[in-house]
Amino acid sequence: MIQRLLLAREAVLFYVLLAMGAVFAIAVDGFLDAFSLLERTRYWAIPGMMAVPMTFIIATAGIDLSVASIVAMSGIVLGLLFRDAQLPIAVAAGAAVLAGLSAGAFNGWASSYLRIPPLVVTLATMALFRGVAMGLSKAQPISDFPDGLLWLGQGNIVRLGSDLYLPTPFAALLIAVALGWVLMRRSWVGRFTECIGENEMAAEFAAIGVRRLKMALYAGCGLVCGLAALFNTGLYATAKADTANGMELEVIACVVIGGTRISGGQGSVIGSLLGLCIIGILRYGLEMAGVRSQYVVIVVGALLIVTAVFNEWIARRRGVKG
Amino acid sequence: MKRAPSLIVMGLILIMAASCGKAPSGPQDSGAGSTPPAHDDNRLRIGVMPKLIGIDFFNATEKGARAAAEELGVWVDFDGPVTNDVQLQVQMLETWIAKKYDAIAVAPNDPDAIAPVLERARERGIKVITWDADSKPAARNFFVSQCSAESVARTLMDIMADGVGPEAKYLFLTGSLTAANQNIWMDEMEKYRQKKYPKMQNLSSTPKVSEEDQALATQVTTDCLKTYADLDGIFAITSVALPGAAEGLRKAGAGDRVFLTGLSTPNGMKEYIKDGTLKRFALWNPVDLGYLAVHAAVASAKGELMAGAEAFQAGHLGECRIEKDVIVLGDPIVFDKDNIDTFDF
Repeated sequence: MIQRLLLAREAVLFYVLLAMGAVFAIAVDGFLDAFSLLERTRYWAIPGMMAVPMTFIIATAGIDLSVASIVAMSGIVLGLLFRDAQLPIAVAAGAAVLAGLSAGAFNGWASSYLRIPPLVVTLATMALFRGVAMGLSKAQPISDFPDGLLWLGQGNIVRLGSDLYLPTPFAALLIAVALGWVLMRRSWVGRFTECIGENEMAAEFAAIGVRRLKMALYAGCGLVCGLAALFNTGLYATAKADTANGMELEVIACVVIGGTRISGGQGSVIGSLLGLCIIGILRYGLEMAGVRSQYVVIVVGALLIVTAVFNEWIARRRGVKG
Repeated sequence: MKRAPSLIVMGLILIMAASCGKAPSGPQDSGAGSTPPAHDDNRLRIGVMPKLIGIDFFNATEKGARAAAEELGVWVDFDGPVTNDVQLQVQMLETWIAKKYDAIAVAPNDPDAIAPVLERARERGIKVITWDADSKPAARNFFVSQCSAESVARTLMDIMADGVGPEAKYLFLTGSLTAANQNIWMDEMEKYRQKKYPKMQNLSSTPKVSEEDQALATQVTTDCLKTYADLDGIFAITSVALPGAAEGLRKAGAGDRVFLTGLSTPNGMKEYIKDGTLKRFALWNPVDLGYLAVHAAVASAKGELMAGAEAFQAGHLGECRIEKDVIVLGDPIVFDKDNIDTFDF
């Protein structure tokens, strides 16, 4: 039943995406340009990667507001180890990912073992990790990274046509989504995750290791944020403490628009990817149409509110308890 | 029970969305808006991006940019992020590349982070100008500089010498010890002092610091008036430090004893000029800066401004000097009680 509902919903999202694309293609000059669209996906990849673990976390009725701050902190760890400690870039990158993993593990430990609501924990660590990034870097940007790292953000992985290439970060996003989908739909992880979100106490009685799984999900989220930090640093050729500012909102928005209920119980990784594309296409189309940047933000915000309300309404009508 | 957290999260999202969407009031949203020109319109299309939109300084640059656009018969898209965030600039520039603008003039928030996207723009045949702040030099065609550090130094030192005399004992009030622009200006002022006013004296080898906090600038100024009995003058060289220092002098009633000057926008300083707390201060003209940036962008796009040029004719500004690949606007304007009301930025 739920499966069918979700499938239907993902289909609806896909039609919405196609319709938006068609409207922009007809109405906006220069919108339908494969080169520009592919270039654009570089910027979708970073929030998109984070949206995958966020889908799992929101499906447990949790939240992680610290994702963007972890990206900033991992980026600074990468930069400082490379520039000041003179470590090889691969070692620095490994340490940055490890920093992300530890940050996520702390979130998971505090929220599942100390039983502090994740909203409170990650609101605190959102400020904490950002502060650590600011303090370590003294708020100064770090640049002059080697080509290998820049390739992660600015490079291409395969040639698609005469002048067309698949950007590296977008390829990484597709891999992340595929892995996320397998975990959510083809393994016990997804099943147990949704059980926890549906009814945590019942899940515990069903002998699901609730606390261990939740801890692992937050730690995994930190790990992905650490990886995203590598792509982010490559994309802007700079590690900065105020990078990805406000990106947690964008990540949560993708997940919510994608049909994962904020009150938990069901999650869709493919939905989150479609949510990401819808926000991205909307923003890109409006910008191409010459809408001034402050109004674009308003439209995206409005879209988010409308979908969130629509989601709750649909769920109640179909009698899914919440 | 279960609905409470979801409501909180929704509320949070709403607040975030609302705070992102706060539209700062720009000087224009009418007439020359950002509707792109029609197909049969052959005007050049120029994208002009400030560090952020909605503050006095960049609103003034927009006036100049629009004036130049009208004069040159080009279409200008003046837009930028709502916060001084280089990543938002990069994404907007990506859209401008997709729109195939003929030239882009940008005031980058970070010289390194902006470089990759500017290089992509140049690969696609778009001419790139930086203005107000520079990027890595390899990423752009020309940099339009407000004025050379040397001319800032000369202007401020001459104001001091004129106000106090060639034996003035002075102090610096800066933003922070790491502020690059301010440090260069102070170095240049010291060089100029040694040459032109050898008897002037800096009372403190490290400048006083205001941390871009106006209240702190007032506090530091008050303290200095007590500590340095023989103080003749103060240079407050940021747009936050100068009004803060003026407030300190006014509170202490020391406007006649200590001569204050520096760099700031006229709107913030009008009251202190009118009550005589300070006589003169300086800043470059942001209207002219926007005007020159558009002139340089258009000339580059038309192929009239090429690497190696030594001078450049920019409309009513006349001939502007080019040092290597830096186009210099000229000397700062000096504001006093006679001319300050004619400026609005």
